[in-house]
Amino acid sequence: MRIVPIFPAWLALAAGAAAADVPTLLQERLASVVAVEFVLETESERRPATVLGTVIDDQGTIILPGNSIPATAALDQLHDFKVYPPGGDEGSPAEYLGPDALTGWQFLRAGAPVRAKLRAITHFADPAAPAPRLDDELWGIGLRGQDEDFAPYVLSSRIALLTRLPNQTAITAEDVAGPGLPVFTRDGRFVGLAQNSYGQNYVLFARGQNGTPVMLVNVEESSVIELAADVLPGFTRIPQHQTGRPIAWLGVSGVQPVDPDVARLLKLERQSGLVVSDIMAASPAAKAGLKDRDIVLAVDGQPFPRLKPDRVVTDYFAREILRRRPGDELRLTVLRDGERRELTVALGDEPKMIREASRHYFDRLGFTIREFLPLDGVANHGAPGDASGVVVHFLKPNSPAAVAGLRPDDWIREIDGVPVKDFADAVARLGRIDSDQARGEIVLLAGRGGETQVLRVKLN
Amino acid sequence: MLRLLGAGALAFAAARAGAELGRGFDRVLDAVVRIDVREVTFEDGARRLSGGTGSGVIISRDGLILTNAHVVGPQAVEISVTLSSLEHVGASLVGWDHWTDLAVLRLDLAEVRRRGLHFTAGEFGDSDRLRPGETVYAVGTPYGLSRTVTRGIISNNNRPFEEGEDQRGFETGAFNNWLQTDAAINPGNSGGPLVTEDGRVVGINSRAFLGADNLGFAIPGNVARRISEALVRDGSITRSYLGIVPGALQDLERFYSLAANTGLLVDSVEAGSPAARAGLRPNDVVLELNGRKLDGRFPEQLPPIQNFIASLPVGSTVNLKVKRGDGVLTLTAVTERLESRVGEEWAFEKWGLSVRQVTRTYARENQLDSDRGVVVIGVQAGYPAAQAGLDPGDILTKIGGEPIVDLDRLKAAYRAYVARPEPVLVEAQRQRRIALYVFKP
Repeated sequence: MRIVPIFPAWLALAAGAAAADVPTLLQERLASVVAVEFVLETESERRPATVLGTVIDDQGTIILPGNSIPATAALDQLHDFKVYPPGGDEGSPAEYLGPDALTGWQFLRAGAPVRAKLRAITHFADPAAPAPRLDDELWGIGLRGQDEDFAPYVLSSRIALLTRLPNQTAITAEDVAGPGLPVFTRDGRFVGLAQNSYGQNYVLFARGQNGTPVMLVNVEESSVIELAADVLPGFTRIPQHQTGRPIAWLGVSGVQPVDPDVARLLKLERQSGLVVSDIMAASPAAKAGLKDRDIVLAVDGQPFPRLKPDRVVTDYFAREILRRRPGDELRLTVLRDGERRELTVALGDEPKMIREASRHYFDRLGFTIREFLPLDGVANHGAPGDASGVVVHFLKPNSPAAVAGLRPDDWIREIDGVPVKDFADAVARLGRIDSDQARGEIVLLAGRGGETQVLRVKLN
Repeated sequence: MLRLLGAGALAFAAARAGAELGRGFDRVLDAVVRIDVREVTFEDGARRLSGGTGSGVIISRDGLILTNAHVVGPQAVEISVTLSSLEHVGASLVGWDHWTDLAVLRLDLAEVRRRGLHFTAGEFGDSDRLRPGETVYAVGTPYGLSRTVTRGIISNNNRPFEEGEDQRGFETGAFNNWLQTDAAINPGNSGGPLVTEDGRVVGINSRAFLGADNLGFAIPGNVARRISEALVRDGSITRSYLGIVPGALQDLERFYSLAANTGLLVDSVEAGSPAARAGLRPNDVVLELNGRKLDGRFPEQLPPIQNFIASLPVGSTVNLKVKRGDGVLTLTAVTERLESRVGEEWAFEKWGLSVRQVTRTYARENQLDSDRGVVVIGVQAGYPAAQAGLDPGDILTKIGGEPIVDLDRLKAAYRAYVARPEPVLVEAQRQRRIALYVFKP
């Protein structure tokens, strides 16, 4: 009878001993982290970028923080994805799989040669493990720059705060990992992924100045950790297409949370709500009868939770939409003129995004046009359905178009006094002008903030 | 020897200057006044008094003073004028026109007589006859230094200089060109005269490029004279509005198949304006307006054309002969009264909220669906509006469930709140997005 309790105690002792050995744990776990290099090739430059990623399965799938690839970059502008193991001086090619709208991650797949050396972070995860608690000690991995062969290093700290944003998130007292890299308990269990760091407020005292408030953001290390319970389910969301489609779409641009004072006055008790406005014409929301000033209270009968800050409720609602698929039905409980009503929305397909828009660069004129998107209609407060014209996507500095006063995001309505029908029409006409060396000038009518301007572009 | 010669040359120069600046110049110096103003401001969620100093010139025997609209405006509550005799006299606002940046005051003549004070009146010269290079003097109160005279030349006598908005948001300069001078003009010179060597007022100093070397701008005397006469008569200037935003046609004649010096190019047509309703479109060229041929080839020619349109009677029918592509068509528009983007201001102190009425122009510029509501221009930290989360630029559209159709509606709601303070629901738009707030005591 006395022997039995000793056995588990010995096990615990063994685990404790292993936990103390972070260098050993680190060596094993380095196979789950990579540095990723890629090139964003714009009309005028090749812009290399380096970001950090975590391996999520044994097929060499890697996830990167969402903002590591600009949302406006077209797929054909992204080149030369390479994966570097920590301490590695040679990258191996990888394939870009696309973004996932719900998690916000970018997905990548390492090429066959390097896959064997990678190990999924899931091997170090235990879905049944208890949730982390305040003051738990955590450690994580950081990677130095390319000039140091992405040498790995260890950071550690304790959990200072647990919150929902709306995902379960731990904030540590000190930075604990590179953004995009995993964080572990003392005994090596995966507890979450470091997100992009939050800004920290400081007061800067420069010579001869009183203190100036400044915000500092550490771009190399982070203290914000999205916890495994919300990270692991996302590993199944490998994009089917580089664009990230299918993406469910509601069609409401204005979604503003109500604060507790407003909720009290509206007698919402402990409920949260979202005021909707700027509903796109012919969108799923409009078809379902959603109206400006409706206050959405619940999705499929589930009231919005009280989340802090208030704006987190907006993200919660967005995620409720994004976790569904186009064609799915969604039941919204809304408060309108003091009365609750139920609306059923059939979610649509996200309209064409900037990264998908057709574009064309004219070298002599010095600008890129892209097709007019529904989003541009919102930005320009245009009449619904008015999708004529094209949008200036890129402007080469000091080019004839730039000198003439054209600006990025200008809405080109007419070329040489003739309205632009659509993208193809604009490409054809501008292409003829661009290649016609005898052409001395063109006249563009550009729209900007509800006004228009006649611009003369001199070509010679 | 050298020193003597030097001194002799200096003395000679001084004598010459004295000869040039004769009695006329002395008289205009006696007509220049310093103006100290206390005015109501509605910034930061409170009604406050703020002070400022500028310059002015007396232009009539009965004590009319010409100055800048940005020196004295309708929100002035106390105007104190310092005469050349250094005596202070009260004055009142007679008329105000921010479009030309001019205001007219009247000295308190009863006080002048009672105290036995004297002043002289400046006389206008013909500003159309000024030539670049001609010597001029700026007289005023730069940085509070009363009766400062600086000397320069007319650098340019026809400078287009439209200022989108001044510090308080008022539009200026669309209807006149400016005199440019290198006579030093500093803060406080505003409203003072630009005078010729014989002491004639040819301009009202009004602006300078900060940080630049002596790039100052004055309203031409002829414009000032015309506007001041109208202000004395009516108190304000009524202008017509069509909604045409012109662009200089410069070098585009061939593109539009036009003879040189013909037509006014339409850069933009303001949404919902009379021109838009008449069917005018950007890229149109207006050849004639009510039978008068237009020539908007150069930027300098646009303010006079704008002024011509503005001078048409409000509500009158305007015939536009327009070239569009290869065709010529006639459009008919009916003028509206020109309105500023800056509406009436007010402060609700218990809310710590200052607002400005949304005008048609403001709504148009900000692409709002309606010109109802008030725009927040300031909040005071720690007061209900700031606590609720409102920011400058937010547009309040409803209070207690009722639409804020105008400032009076909001004033009524405020009175109710003051009489019985209890939480009230406010609807506002920020970048066209609707959100709800609570003002609570």
